[in-house]
Amino acid sequence: MTKIIAVTACPTGVAHTYMAAESLLKAAKEKNVELKVETRGAIGVENELTEQDIAAAHAVILAADTDVLEARFAGKPVVKVGVAQALKDPGGLLDQALSMQAAAPEDYLKQINQAKSERGATRKGPYKHLMTGVSAMLPLVVAGGLLIAISFIFGIEASNEEGTLAAAFMEIGGGAAFALMVPILAGFIAFSIAEKPGLAPGLVGGMLATKIGAGFIGGIAAGFLAGYLAKWLKDWIKMPRNMEGLKPILIIPLLATGITGLLMIYVIGEPVKFTMDSLTNWLNTIGSTNAVLLGLLLGAMMAFDMGGPVNKAAYTFAVGLLGSSVYGPMAAVMAAGMTPPLGLWLATLIARKKFTSEERDAGKSAAVLGISFITEGAIPFAASDPLRVIPSIMVGSATTGALSMLFGATLQAPHGGIFVLAIPNAVTQLGLYALAIAIGTLVTAVMLYILKKPVNTQLGG
Amino acid sequence: MKIIDLMHEQSVLMPLNVSSKNECINVLVNALADSGTVTDKASYQEAVINREKVSSTGIGFNVAIPHGKSAGVAKPGLAFAQLTSPLDWDSIDGKPVSIVFMIAVPEKSSGNEHLHILMALSRKLMDDDFRNQLLSARDRGELMELLGTI
Repeated sequence: MTKIIAVTACPTGVAHTYMAAESLLKAAKEKNVELKVETRGAIGVENELTEQDIAAAHAVILAADTDVLEARFAGKPVVKVGVAQALKDPGGLLDQALSMQAAAPEDYLKQINQAKSERGATRKGPYKHLMTGVSAMLPLVVAGGLLIAISFIFGIEASNEEGTLAAAFMEIGGGAAFALMVPILAGFIAFSIAEKPGLAPGLVGGMLATKIGAGFIGGIAAGFLAGYLAKWLKDWIKMPRNMEGLKPILIIPLLATGITGLLMIYVIGEPVKFTMDSLTNWLNTIGSTNAVLLGLLLGAMMAFDMGGPVNKAAYTFAVGLLGSSVYGPMAAVMAAGMTPPLGLWLATLIARKKFTSEERDAGKSAAVLGISFITEGAIPFAASDPLRVIPSIMVGSATTGALSMLFGATLQAPHGGIFVLAIPNAVTQLGLYALAIAIGTLVTAVMLYILKKPVNTQLGG
Repeated sequence: MKIIDLMHEQSVLMPLNVSSKNECINVLVNALADSGTVTDKASYQEAVINREKVSSTGIGFNVAIPHGKSAGVAKPGLAFAQLTSPLDWDSIDGKPVSIVFMIAVPEKSSGNEHLHILMALSRKLMDDDFRNQLLSARDRGELMELLGTI
């Protein structure tokens, strides 16, 4: 039997919503059509359509004068009318829905695949929001990272020359794409939570996370903060009827963005700055007394938050030492920054079932980003499963950092990845250095293999 | 709770002789005020009129359900009128209205129970038999018996 789904909603939510639902159900019964109706009224959402309902439906009837979260029906044929139409001509609406072309088979297959790959992601609540953000950010990481890597092909310092093609690639990848990465992550987390009203405060919170140096972890915090705040404001602010229109365009954006921004600057920003300063001081006091221990620490720090305060403290410390002609820590830091994406790439090969198809595709470009010392290539993986991915890459990076120091490798350039090797004498102990990176990559991948859960079992959990 | 718990003697008007939609709304608002349901007539009436402006509450089949949510409502309530002469209500099926249910809902709801009752009434109004019985109810007793089923 053909299945139709419908949503009814009206402004007051006490009468038409339910009358429309009832008359549609009555007409469906007469026509012997299977119909499920979600009502969105004053008492909230009842008989909510599940993903399975939507997937199984031939078409969707929206009889509503208010917002009904239409985005969830993407790809399905939709008959959209005012709520009154369902009272006036329920039979006609059903006929119209029945006569619509079902989604084209290939679209449908694509949808099923997408639904499958997102199934792990559709555990309710925070995990789903996080995945929405990561998924939106991923193309920026891949495109931005590869463009930066391309700029290195011209020589690792080539992009410093203004007006050159290398500088343009660096500007596109580093200046624009990477700058958008954390704002988009935060913006889409917030969008997933609060729909459109969440987007502006999320983007702004993410931008501030970047500016205050809080990295992607700060961006995740900003996204959740902005999203739940906007949602709460949306649900709780009551306006006099004639000013209701100001709520979505003025009141919510203003309050949510302002509050999120202030929290990011004062509540998140200050501790981040303090953390970074104290870590930097601490590293300076350790100095290079115990080289292997220092390498271990720097390595773990590089992988911990990839662009956040801990990572920056380690990187800045190593770059600072270049000025004093101490080159060992720089080598350790770069090697440790290369293993997270490399390890993830390897893990997507040896533990295919533990990654979504989207992640397996991203794994291929992660390899390129890894050899280019673009640690950000690991962020999408870390953001979507932080508690398993971050410890894994930290152990791998710490191993690499310690080995690099143990082997006495040195590096005189603060970036460039594999492209530095082309420069004579930039790296010493080249063979052992490469070995340190390879071992760290392997350790990371093995850790991921052990810790990560298969995507399918995430469904039940 | 039943639907008749939301109704009072003062707010059941049968028959009611009025000559326009506005007059009808006015009389029913006053009736709800007399029964203690509505405390601020002006604010509630404004809510009802504004709702009518969005789209007519003439749901067809000779029935209209003007309603409003307002701080001027003390407790959820329902008024009923059976009209002596059918009125034009811009109904979605174009037919004149003979039966009017007016629904009053407070701004801050004290629970969902009464909303469930009103929903049940709304759904019931889609039933042809139920509507015909409403149209042909001859007095308060018959009406209460009929509504007692919800």
